[in-house]
Amino acid sequence: MNEGWMSRALSLGGRGALAVVLAVVALVPVLCSTFFTSQVGLTSLSLGIVAVSLTFLSGYGGMVSLAQTALFGVAGLITAKLTVDAGWNGWVAALVGVLAATAVGVLFGAISSGSVGIYFLVITLAFAEITYFFFAAVPTFGAHEGINQAKPPAPLGDPVLHPSAMYYFMLVVSVLVFLGLRYVSRTAFGLALQGVRDDPVRMAALGYNVRLHRTLGFALAAPVAGIAGVLSTWSNTRISAGSISLAVAILVLTAAVIGGLNKLAGAWVGAFVYTICDTYMRGWTDRFATYLGVVFLVIVLVSPGGIVGVLTSAGTWLRRRVGAGDVPGAGTSGRPGPLAEPATPVPVTGGQSA
Amino acid sequence: MSEHVLQARGLTRRFGGVVAVREVDLEIGQGERRAVLGPNGAGKSSLFNLLAGADTPTAGSIELFGTDVTALGARQRTRMGLSRTFQTSRLLGGLTVEDNLYLAAIGVSGGRFRLLRGSRDAEARKRAVRVAESVGMTDRLGEPAGELSHGEQRQLEIGLALVAEPRLLLLDEPAAGLSRAERQLLTALLLGLERDVTLLIIEHDMDVALTVAERVTMMYEGAVIVEGTPAEIRSNQRVHDLYLGRAHV
Repeated sequence: MNEGWMSRALSLGGRGALAVVLAVVALVPVLCSTFFTSQVGLTSLSLGIVAVSLTFLSGYGGMVSLAQTALFGVAGLITAKLTVDAGWNGWVAALVGVLAATAVGVLFGAISSGSVGIYFLVITLAFAEITYFFFAAVPTFGAHEGINQAKPPAPLGDPVLHPSAMYYFMLVVSVLVFLGLRYVSRTAFGLALQGVRDDPVRMAALGYNVRLHRTLGFALAAPVAGIAGVLSTWSNTRISAGSISLAVAILVLTAAVIGGLNKLAGAWVGAFVYTICDTYMRGWTDRFATYLGVVFLVIVLVSPGGIVGVLTSAGTWLRRRVGAGDVPGAGTSGRPGPLAEPATPVPVTGGQSA
Repeated sequence: MSEHVLQARGLTRRFGGVVAVREVDLEIGQGERRAVLGPNGAGKSSLFNLLAGADTPTAGSIELFGTDVTALGARQRTRMGLSRTFQTSRLLGGLTVEDNLYLAAIGVSGGRFRLLRGSRDAEARKRAVRVAESVGMTDRLGEPAGELSHGEQRQLEIGLALVAEPRLLLLDEPAAGLSRAERQLLTALLLGLERDVTLLIIEHDMDVALTVAERVTMMYEGAVIVEGTPAEIRSNQRVHDLYLGRAHV
């Protein structure tokens, strides 16, 4: 009974902590300066969204992709081009940009889905580089100069001087992306994607088209990266080939690993930690990259599950401690196998039609 | 149309200079219970991989339910009604027992790409729970498959094969590593299978294999050396010399 009370208290505590975090995040434009809201808030949210597209692929599909920034760039540059040069409505341009990123994502996914592990990583690295060099060389998309004055639609206001509207919009999009990906992970498609991650040979033996599932998983993550590209373009009012360079691809991977490559929420946590370091540490030292590398190394060594992994492990440990304190022997195995006490077998019917 | 569920003709698999499966002919009738026996390295699992579509034969052909499936992969054969277990458990370790069984259920019945949950999901989940009960895993449904004991993993392997409601079931050493009580339950489970399920089993445990099987195919160095009833196999001198030993006489 005591254990139940403690577990409920812990669960309530966890939810309470989550509510506090969400409340603080929601109050950033009210409590913090315009600089913090714009520089840290907007950057963290757009970086978090592109990182979560990688986290989804990695955590649920077993595919660590470096091509997410390429898809980010496709959407961002097309949106900027259509709004600045062609005068399109911002929302329509964004929709076209995200659809274009999805189409490119399907192509990337179809090509890379036949590979796994390091080969998959290298193929997606090649996609990232091809996309970068394409946009760096094509004057239509501004080449290295990029496209400036790519302002967001009017309701989102000025993201530099008055970033509140943009911040809340990006926060809502982040929550929707998080909930959407979490929902997908529990559907038949999402579970099958996780099955492919765990054992593709078994999944093929269960009747699944492993390659198609991996391709569709990649295609599903593409619009998420695309949305991040559009939001980043709007919040910075510009985008260039430099926004999708190899350094940025690695930055996204770093943020995802810092937060936790297997937990969706880890993408935003990692993005926030990275952005804080990037914003404030650069002013203190010219060895920012070195210190960030040390932080990265410590996190990977201490907790391969990143910051969210540490928090999850701490919660699990606390729950076990509470359980072990009240129930003698709790937490130890020694449980007999399910067949130790033979049960009456239930006849299983066959007859599946061909 | 052929009366055989499975027909293999001249099936051969070479790995460089090694011939793992050597011109094997095999005919399995509807509802038959067939055991494939042989010492380690006899080519039993290689033969299973060829039959299940996990590997491609160097020569020969395979007919499944009267259709030539030699060029088809594991996925297509599974959808035709073939289910298999693996010699070493291959489970979806990050997913729960129930999710493993659920994915196995929809792998053949459709809905693999569904992004919305509906009544068909509930049906597949019910089937998963029913099969979990039949393999004695009802109380482990919420457990990640990767955290199961060896015996439980073997049971889930069989559950994954059964939940697809197969017409042909290939079991690769299902009793390996099971306790005596678990082997007894496994034997009872296999004997309880209805006759519209054809069974092909590789098993080193003679008690399980010869209790379940009506016919036995004996392999040695990749080739079939003898085929017959369990009694004929028991009394075959060559089988004794190569595999069974005097204790089984």
